[in-house]
Amino acid sequence: MSPNEILAILTVVSFFTMLMIGVPVAVGLAVSGFVFGYIGFGPLLFNLLPARIFGVVSNYTLLAIPLFVFMGVMLEKSKLAEELLDVVGHLSGSMRGGMGVAIVLVGVLMGASTGIVGATIVTLGLLTLPALLRRGYSKSLACGTICASGTLGQIIPPSLILLLLADILGESVGTMFAAAVFPGLILAGLYVIYIFAIAYFYPDRAPAISAEERAALPRRELYGKLFKVVLPPLLLVVAVLGAIIGGVAAPTEAASMGALGAILVCAATGKLSYGLLRDAARATLSIAGMVFLILILSQVFGLAFRGLGGEKLVEHMFNWAPGGVTGSLIFLMVLLFILGCFLEWIEISYIAVPLFLPYFIANDVNLVWLGTLICVNLQTSFLTPPFGWALFFLKGVAPPGVTTSDIYRGVVPFVLLQAVGIAIVFLFPEVATWLPDAIGW
Amino acid sequence: RAQTSFNWKMTNAYGPNAPFYVVGPGSPTDFIKKVDTMSGGRLKIQHFAAGELIPAMEGFDAVAAGTVETNSANSYFWSGKVFAAQYFTTVPFGMSFQGHMAWLYHGGGLDLWQEVYKPFNMVAFPMNNTGVQMTGWFRKEVTSVEDLKGLRMRIPGLAGKVYGQLGVDARLLPGGEIFPALERGVIDAAEFVGPYQDKRLGLQKAAKFYHTTGWHEPATTGELAISLPTWEKLPADLKEMVKVASMACVLESLTWSEAVNGEALVELVEKDGVTAKPLPDAVIARLKEVTADTLATEAAKDPLTKKVHDSYMGFKKKHDKWAKLSEGAFQSAALGS
Amino acid sequence: MPILAKLAEQLDRVVELFGRLAAWIGVGLVLLVAGNVLVRYFLHTGAIWLQELEWHLVAPIALFGMSYALLNGEAIRVDGLYQRFPPKLRATIDIVSSILMVIVALIVVKLSIPFVLQSYNMGEGSPNPDGLTHRFLLKALIPLGFAVLACQAMAETLKAALRFFPSSR
Ligand code: NA
Ligand code: NA
Repeated sequence: MSPNEILAILTVVSFFTMLMIGVPVAVGLAVSGFVFGYIGFGPLLFNLLPARIFGVVSNYTLLAIPLFVFMGVMLEKSKLAEELLDVVGHLSGSMRGGMGVAIVLVGVLMGASTGIVGATIVTLGLLTLPALLRRGYSKSLACGTICASGTLGQIIPPSLILLLLADILGESVGTMFAAAVFPGLILAGLYVIYIFAIAYFYPDRAPAISAEERAALPRRELYGKLFKVVLPPLLLVVAVLGAIIGGVAAPTEAASMGALGAILVCAATGKLSYGLLRDAARATLSIAGMVFLILILSQVFGLAFRGLGGEKLVEHMFNWAPGGVTGSLIFLMVLLFILGCFLEWIEISYIAVPLFLPYFIANDVNLVWLGTLICVNLQTSFLTPPFGWALFFLKGVAPPGVTTSDIYRGVVPFVLLQAVGIAIVFLFPEVATWLPDAIGW
Repeated sequence: RAQTSFNWKMTNAYGPNAPFYVVGPGSPTDFIKKVDTMSGGRLKIQHFAAGELIPAMEGFDAVAAGTVETNSANSYFWSGKVFAAQYFTTVPFGMSFQGHMAWLYHGGGLDLWQEVYKPFNMVAFPMNNTGVQMTGWFRKEVTSVEDLKGLRMRIPGLAGKVYGQLGVDARLLPGGEIFPALERGVIDAAEFVGPYQDKRLGLQKAAKFYHTTGWHEPATTGELAISLPTWEKLPADLKEMVKVASMACVLESLTWSEAVNGEALVELVEKDGVTAKPLPDAVIARLKEVTADTLATEAAKDPLTKKVHDSYMGFKKKHDKWAKLSEGAFQSAALGS
Repeated sequence: MPILAKLAEQLDRVVELFGRLAAWIGVGLVLLVAGNVLVRYFLHTGAIWLQELEWHLVAPIALFGMSYALLNGEAIRVDGLYQRFPPKLRATIDIVSSILMVIVALIVVKLSIPFVLQSYNMGEGSPNPDGLTHRFLLKALIPLGFAVLACQAMAETLKAALRFFPSSR
C-alpha cells in the first residue's frame, strides 16, 4: 500500500472519528479532506476546488432540489397535508391495523408528490403519533410505521436520491423514476402485509377505532371532506407526473409544475398570503441550503480522496469480494448498508457510488437495475439505528412518553422488510427494468 | 537523450467509459497507452473522466492555470471564453474531414490554434474526429423551411443561433434529459452525434425521422490541450511522440467511427424502422444562407476571430473546387445521387 | 461579555440578509422555470438566456443557503454520543468545529478568487451565442458565499464560547 493510499484511509477514518464525537458532517468532510489532501499532494491540486464547487452550483439537474423542497414546504405550511391526514385516518379506522395502513398510504401519496423525508416524517409524526397512541397502538409499531412510510418518498418518484443517482450513473432521470415505481410500491405492500399480520396475531397492538367515534362523524360528511382535502395534494401529483408524461416538461423542470401548483392550490383554498409565501421561501432555503452545504463541502473530501488515489483502495476491496459480478453486487449491497449506518445518502451517492461504478460498467451490469438497488439501500439508511435521520426527525416531534428505544425497536422489523425488498429487486431485476422498457424510457 | 520521466494528469470533458470520447480505438485513453508504449514508460498520463477530478467543462481553466497538465475536449466548448476556438473543432457548412484536417495540418490552421491558445498558456493538437455528424432526430419529417417555425429542438451553440433565425425554438437540455423530453414530445427534435452514439442513447425509440446531413458539424475534431510550461519541459523526442500519437488517434478514431456508424445505421433503419434521409434542398439552402451571415457577423466582432475565419474560408475556397471534382464527383459516381 | 453577544448578533444579521435575498430568489426560480416550461409548451418559443438563467439562480440559493441553513440550526451531526457529553465538552466541540469552519471558509475564499479573476480576464460568457455574459459575476458568488459562511461560523464560535462561559453573559 502506497503512502497516499494510507492517507486516503486516514481521510475516511478521521472523518468518521469527527462524525462520531458530534462534529457537524460538513465540517468533518472539509477538514479531513484539506488536512490529509495537503499532506499527500500539497496545495496545488486544491486549486481545482473552485471548479468542483462551481460544478455543483451550476448543475442543471440540481435545480430540482429547491423546486421539490418548495413544493413540500408549501404543502406543509398551508396545513393541507394536516387535513388530509385527519380525514384519511378517520376513514380507515373501522378495521384492525387500518389506521397504520392509512399512514403507509399517506406516505405513498406524499412520497409521489414530493419526497422530503424530514417534512414527511415531521408532519406524519406530529399529526398521527398522538392519535395512534390514543387508540392503543403499540408505541414501537406506531413509530416504525411512521418512519418507514416517511422514507417511501425517497424511492417513489420524484425523489432526490433518484435524481442524484441518474446524474452519477449517466442514466436519464425519467428511466430512473420509472424503474423505482414498482420497487417503491412493493415496499409499501410489504409494510401493509406486516401491519395486518401484527394486527391479526396481536390485536392489542393495532386495535380498530371505536364505533362511537366513527358515529360522531357521519359518512356523508366524511366523504365531502375527503374530496376537499384529498384533491389538492392529488392535483400536485398529477401536475408533476402529468407534466412529464404529457410532454409538457422534461423531468427536472417538472418539479416547477409541482411548486407552481402548490402556490395555486394555496391561492385556490384562500391560504396564500405574503406571510405564507415568505415563510415557505425561507424554510425552502433552509432545507435546500442544508443539502447544498453537504454537497459543496463534500467536494473537498472527494477531491482529496481522488487526488490521493483512494479509488484504488476500493479496487482492492473488490479483490476481497467473492465470486464475480454477483458476489461483488452482494458485497456492494452489504457495504452500502454498513456505510448507510454512518453516512448520509448524499455522501454515499457522490463519494462511494462513483468509485464502484467503473467495475460494474466494465462487467455490463444493467445500470438502471443497479441504481434501483442502490436507491432502496440508501432509503434504508434513513432507518438504520443508531444514525438514521428518520429516527431523529421523529424523536424531535414525538410526545414525551415515547423513548428513543421505542423508536429503535419499532424500525428494526421495517429494516428487515427493506432487506426483503432489496432481495426481491435483486432476484427479479424485471421489477426495476420492466416499466422503463415498457414505456420506452 | 534526456533520462527524466514525466507524470501527467489528463482530465476529460466526457464521462467515465464513454466510447470514442474516453475508451476505444483512437480515444484519449488509447492515446495515453500509445504514448506510454512509445516512450518506454517515460511519459505516464493518468486519465480522469468528467466529474472524477473536475466537472466536464472545467478542463480549459485547469490547464490554463497549470493545475492539470492536459485536457481532452472539443475546442468549441470554449467559444464563450475565446470565440475563435469554435473554428478548430468544425465549422457549419465548412469542410469535411479531408478539408478540415488539410487546413489544420497544411493550411496554417494548427499554427493559428497555437496563436489563439498562447494567451492561455496552452498548446493544442487534434486528437480525434467523428467525421460528419447527423442533423438529428425529428418526431415529424421536415419537408419545408416552414416546418422549422416553432419547432422545439435541442440544439446548443452556434447552430442553435442559426436555427433560431429560421424560427426554431432552440433548447439547451443536458444529455440525460434528451431522451425523455423527445419521447414525450417536450421537444420535437434533438441533435446529438451520429448513428452509433445516438443508438446507445436510445433516441431511435423516441423519434423516427433521422435527418442528415450534419451541416452544423461536418468534421468534429477533438482537442488535446497541454499546458505550455509542461509542454516546453518535454524533450524533443517525447514531444514528437505526443504529436505522432495524437495524429494516429485522429486517423484511428475516424476510421473506427466510419466502421461502427455504418453498421449502426443499417440496424436503425432495418430493425428500428427509422427513416434516415437528407434535409430537403430548400431547407439546406436557407440554413446555408443564414449560417454564412451569422459566421460573418460573429467573425467581425474581434480581430483574432476574423484572422482565423479568413484563413479557414480562404483555404476552403481553394479546396472546394478540388473536393467537388475529386471526392464529390467520385462519391456521386460510386454511390449514385 | 455583552460585546461578544452583540458581535454574534451583527454577524447573524449579515447571514440573515443574504438568506432573505436568496429565499426570494428561490420563489423567482419557481416562477422562472414554470414560466419557461409554459411559454415553450403553449407558444413554442423561448430565449436562450432565460434558459441559462435557470441554473444561474441555483448558485445564490446554494451558496447563501449554506449559511442560512446553519443560522436556522440545521447543522447535521451524529449526536448519539454528543448528547451524552457534559455541556462543557459539547461547547468545546462546538467551538473547535466552528473555528475549523471559519478556516475552511476562508481557505475557499482565497482559492476561489483566482478562479473568478481568470474568468474576468478572459471576458468569459456563455458558449451559446445568445447566452448570458459576464460569467465572472456568477463565479464571484463562490467567494462571496463562503465569506458569508465565515461570518456564520464566527457567530457560532462566539455563541459556543458564551455557552462555555455562561457566567460572563
Ligand atoms: Na418521492
Ligand atoms: Na443511517
